[in-house]
Formats: sequence, structure tokens, C-alpha cells
Amino acid sequence: MKKWVKRNTGLLFILPWLFGFCVFKAYPFLSSLYYSFTDFNLFKGISEYGFMNYKEIFTDKDTISSLIVTFKYAFLTVPLKLAAALFIAYILNFKIKGVNFFRTAYYIPSILGGSVAIAVLWKALFRDDGVINSMLGMFGVAGPQWLSDPDYALFIICFLRVWQFGAAMVIFLAALKGVPTELYESASVEGASKWKQFFSITIPMISPVIFYNLVTQLCQAFQEFNGPYIITQGGPRKSTMLISLMVYRSAFQQNEMGMASALAWVMFIVVMVLTVISFLSQKYWVYYSDEDGGR
Amino acid sequence: MKKMKRFLALALSCTMIFSLAGCGGTEKETKTETEATTEETEADDKLVNDGEYEECTIRLSWWGGEARHEVTQAAVNAFMEAYPGIKVETEFAAWTGWEDKMSTAFYAGTEPDVNQINWNWITAYSSDGSVFYDLNKASEIIDLSQFSDESLTECTVADKLQGIPVAMTGRIFYWNQTTFEKAGISVPTTMEELLNAGQIFKEKLGEDYYPLVLNEYDRMILMVYYLESVYGKNWVEDGEVNYTQEEIEKGLEFIKLLEEKHVTPTVMQIIGDGAESLDKNQKWMSGKYAGIFEWDSSANKFKGALEAGQTFTVGDYFKDMGDYQGGFAKVSLAFAISEKTEHPKEAAMLINFLMNEEAGVKAMGSERGVPLSKKALELCETNGLLDATVAEANGKVLDWASFTLDPMFEDAGLKGNPDGVYFDVMSGLSYGDYTVEDAAAELLDGINGVLSK
Repeated sequence: MKKWVKRNTGLLFILPWLFGFCVFKAYPFLSSLYYSFTDFNLFKGISEYGFMNYKEIFTDKDTISSLIVTFKYAFLTVPLKLAAALFIAYILNFKIKGVNFFRTAYYIPSILGGSVAIAVLWKALFRDDGVINSMLGMFGVAGPQWLSDPDYALFIICFLRVWQFGAAMVIFLAALKGVPTELYESASVEGASKWKQFFSITIPMISPVIFYNLVTQLCQAFQEFNGPYIITQGGPRKSTMLISLMVYRSAFQQNEMGMASALAWVMFIVVMVLTVISFLSQKYWVYYSDEDGGR
Repeated sequence: MKKMKRFLALALSCTMIFSLAGCGGTEKETKTETEATTEETEADDKLVNDGEYEECTIRLSWWGGEARHEVTQAAVNAFMEAYPGIKVETEFAAWTGWEDKMSTAFYAGTEPDVNQINWNWITAYSSDGSVFYDLNKASEIIDLSQFSDESLTECTVADKLQGIPVAMTGRIFYWNQTTFEKAGISVPTTMEELLNAGQIFKEKLGEDYYPLVLNEYDRMILMVYYLESVYGKNWVEDGEVNYTQEEIEKGLEFIKLLEEKHVTPTVMQIIGDGAESLDKNQKWMSGKYAGIFEWDSSANKFKGALEAGQTFTVGDYFKDMGDYQGGFAKVSLAFAISEKTEHPKEAAMLINFLMNEEAGVKAMGSERGVPLSKKALELCETNGLLDATVAEANGKVLDWASFTLDPMFEDAGLKGNPDGVYFDVMSGLSYGDYTVEDAAAELLDGINGVLSK
């Protein structure tokens, strides 16, 4: 017995996690795959099996529009957020006065994360007579209808997520600290400009971290829910109807668990494909310092 | 090393995105025959009023505003005093998100013993009678004779009385008299006066003043009121929309006219106000929006939101909209007992206390509308507990409305915001995405699609 325990100590340690993973991740994950091939309604049960949900997803104009909106959201938010995080981290990496204050100040929005209060505040800021339009009015500019114009609403939702770049910024900051200063010194001696140093030294040296941030932010962007749910509820005219909102509405408002599961699986596959593409693209742009000669 | 790193990164990414697909279906599918048979056997047991009860804890749920929370808590405390040994635990919140929470609970069987329910929840969640207890079995505990047969029939589905109706409600106009006076006109009593008021508001008060504000769902209900007034038939009959596309087009043209005549702001303007609901809209509070078309039971919510010095009045139905008295009245709310409760008798005692017994009725007042229970109504009238505005509005609704409402009218697939059919059509028409013809076709197809499910 003692021998068995000794041999399986590691297994015993991970047992609680394994239990949680099986019950709260693996089981729902697999059962949702099963339900996605049914017309499972919470109060009517299952009466049909097949690909009808998937067929509807790719033929229904609302779902297709929602997929497009989700892609727009992700492809706007992720690059902007990474660029903002890297830019601010780069500045905060210099020895400037009060740098700790600025680091904290820029990090705070990401602590607030998907907070409901921030979403409500956002709504108040961007309503027709909100703070933003009042400020524009002081300069004689008539602000647009941010929340009610389908051309602007998605940008407002994106902006909320981009504003919360603090977590990515801290990771970038740590990576920037790890870039050997000798590289910059040598480059300076050789007459390389700051701009050249940034693109030829900084970016390649922190590319594994950029890659990490890219993949995690991409996953988060496709799962975004709180902002559009609270600020626009998917409107106006479904211009902010992300797929996560459709999953929620199908599951908890229309009780169509079969359709909700299929939508979730479509999103899973989309994110999976994008992640695999990101991994495959690594060899072209990510530099691992422990590799022979790097790339 | 490199491969290991990549493998770990891939594993971490997979774990993250697992959560995307893991939020779908849940455990239970359909009831097994054994379970159903057991429940049927239990259903034969009629509750006996022998003056005894079990010491137990029961749970009560409701949604509403602060005022409703206060009066219900007071009534619950009075019940616990009257029936020592029964402890009532309460669960309550605002309406937003409440139905999502409750529908999941109904499915999982974790709902409280007694629930305030919307009338359409009976057909939506318990069309086979599996979610709510048959209150006919509690007729010795709950004094059903206080309710009209018609109102009890409204809550009878699958041959089971699944809820005790609290009040009847319907939509009616309410006006901010102060704003109308500022514009130099009296509150409208005809459609013609309302259409003229739009232009007068614009000229005398400014572009941002409107005599009536209507969100998408309000527009839908007003359009049905208009069509019923013109054509004299129920909106839905035998599970299908009872109007042709041409008739619906006429209704949508009427709604469009309200925007064109500056009677109501566009949907875009209302969304741009950034308010969660019309009663929280600054323009309603300040009087810039001077009218609403709302449930009679919601009067106080809108009245209370007005800034000081403004007079809130109950409007009249317009007699010049058509040859018929359009509009409908429906059961506003009901109290239902969970089929899974272990204490049906005590739960029924709580319902009877809240709806028929003096202490309960006095505590509850008319917060949920004018009570349908004859005894409760009498108690409220004798003790001056009826809110004058609600009572006036309710009286007008019940005197006027002559059409019935199909419970599916309030289905989430229709009134969901923003992807419900009503919202899509009414906002699409307002934004100019749909012509009247397209909107009518979408509405007809969408509603019939939901009704046929």
C-alpha cells in the first residue's frame, strides 16, 4: 500500500484537479457536442437528431451576420489592444519620473476587467448627451450617436476591451526588461536609430511574449460577453450581436440548448483553427532564444 | 525543449477555449415514464384543511421594484407571525435577467416552493403541467371562490390550475400633463389630437420634445391595438396570426406615421438616450417625453420617476382609431407552487394568506395591481389601500379592452431584445432597413414561425 501511494503520489495530488476537469470541463464539453446534433429544448426535450443546427447556422442570415460581427470584433480588438499594450509598456520601460504610478494607473482598468459597473459607466459616457459628446460640444463639434448608430456601436464595444490593456502591458513590460541591454548598446555603436532598434531588436526578442499575448487575447475576444450584453444588448440592429450573446440567448432565453451547443462548437472550431494557424505561423516570426542560432 | 514548450502552449490554449464549447446543454432530457407515473399518483392527493400544518421552511420568489420588495417582505413577516413554525425564505430581484434565471431553475427543478410567475410562463414552461402544482388540489386551502371562473381558466393549462391570478392588466396611455400645458394644449383624447400634438411640441417646445415615447415592444402592442380597432378581430386565432399582410402593412404605416408626425422619437434616438428602460430615461423624467403607452400596473414606476412639479395623468383610449374597441387585458401575474415542493400545503397557505387573508392583503396593498380576489379588493377599498392612479387605469382598461391575448404573444423569441421578431421589425422599420412591405412580411413569417414551434 505504502509502495502504491509512493508510486502514485503525483496522481493523488492532481486528483482534485482531474475531478474538477472531468466534471466541469470534459463532461459539459462532450455532452454539448452530443446536444449540438439534437433539437434539445429545455422544456420540450429532444425530438430530432441530425445536422439541422449546423445547417441553420450557416444559412440563417442572423447567425452569419453574428459570425461576421464576432470576427470584426476580434480582428479589431486584438491588434489594437496588443499595440496599445506594447506601446505603453515600451514607454514605461524607460527610467522616467513617477514610472510606478503610471504603471499602476495603466494597469487598473484591467483589474476592473469585465466588470458590470465599467460597462454601465461606458454606456453613460457614450450616450447621446453623455460625457464624450458634451466634451465635443464644448469645441463646437456635434458628436455622433455612438450607441445607437450601427456604424459606431461596435467600435465603442471594442474600445472598452482595448482600454483594458493593462494585463498584456505588464507581460510585455516583463519581457522588455529581459532584453539584454548589450544588444541596444552594440546597435547604438553601429549607428542604428531607435526605430531600427525597436523593430530589429525589441520585437524579435519579445516575439514569444507577443505570440503568447496574441493567442490568449484572441481566445478572450471570441468569448467577449459582458460589454455588448450590458452596453448594447447586441444592438442597434444587431451590429454588436457577438456569437457569445447568441449562445446565451439561445440557451437561456429561448431554452434551445441544441442550437446553443452548436453555436458554441462553431466558435470552438473557429478559435481552434485560428490558434493552430497562429502556432503554424510561429516559425516565420517568433524567435526563441534557446534555439540554435535563433530564427 | 522547443517541442515541449509548444506542446505546453497548445495544451494551455486548448484548456482556455474548452470553456467556449462547454457552456451548452445540461443533464436532464425528458422525464421518464416512471417519474411521470409517480407524480400522477402523488397528484391524486388533495390537500385537506384540518387546521394543522407542518413546521418547515419554504421559499418564495418574485421580481419587482423596491416598493414591491418592501410590501412583500412585510407580508411574509406577517405570515410567519400568523403561522409560527413556518419559515419563509425570500428570493427577489429586478426583472432584468429574472426570467433567464427562473427558466433554468424550472428545468433543473431547483425553483422555490412558491413563485410569482408571468402569465405566459405557464404555457412556456409547463404546457404539460410538469412544472407547476395543480392548485385545484389546494382548493380547501386557497379560497378559489374569490376569483372569477374566467380568470382561473386563464391559468388552467393541461387541465391543471397552475397559478392563482393576482390582477388583470392592459396597456393604456399616461400623460405628463405639465408638458402638454407648457405646449399650450390639453392631453390628447383622440388620435387626431395626438398627431397634431407632435407638430405643436416641435414648434413650441423644441425638436427634442415628443408627446409620446414608444420602444419597439410598445410599438408592437400599439399596432395590435390599432389593428383590432380597425378590423375588430383578435391578433392571433387558432395558433396563427389572424391578419393578412396588407392589414399588417396598414398597422406598420400607422406606426411610421407617428415618427413622421414627430409624435414619437425614432428607435435610434431612444437607444441613444442610453437608458436601460423608459422610466429611467432622463427625457421622461424631465418631461421631454410627455407620454407613454404602458401596463396599468406600471403607473407608479413611471409616475415616481418624474422630476418634482410634474403632473402625471391616466389617458383615455382613442375612439377615433376604428369602429371597434381595440386592446386587450390579460392576467398580469400569478402565484404558482412548484410541482417539486415537499410542502404543498404550507405553500398554498402562504398564497392564500397573501391573496385572501386580511393581514396579507393589507400588507400587499395594490402593489401588484388591482387585486382580482374579491375579498382582497374589498379589503383594499375599505382600507383605502388602492392606489388611485393604478385603480383608475385598471378601471379604464377593463371597461375598454375587448380582445383576448394569446399567451405566445409574449414568447421570448418574439419580444426578445434585439433579436426577437417584434424588435427586429419595429427597429428595422424605424432605422429604414425595412420597407413597410418587407416589415409586414418579416413580422408575419416570424410570428407564425414561433407559433408553429
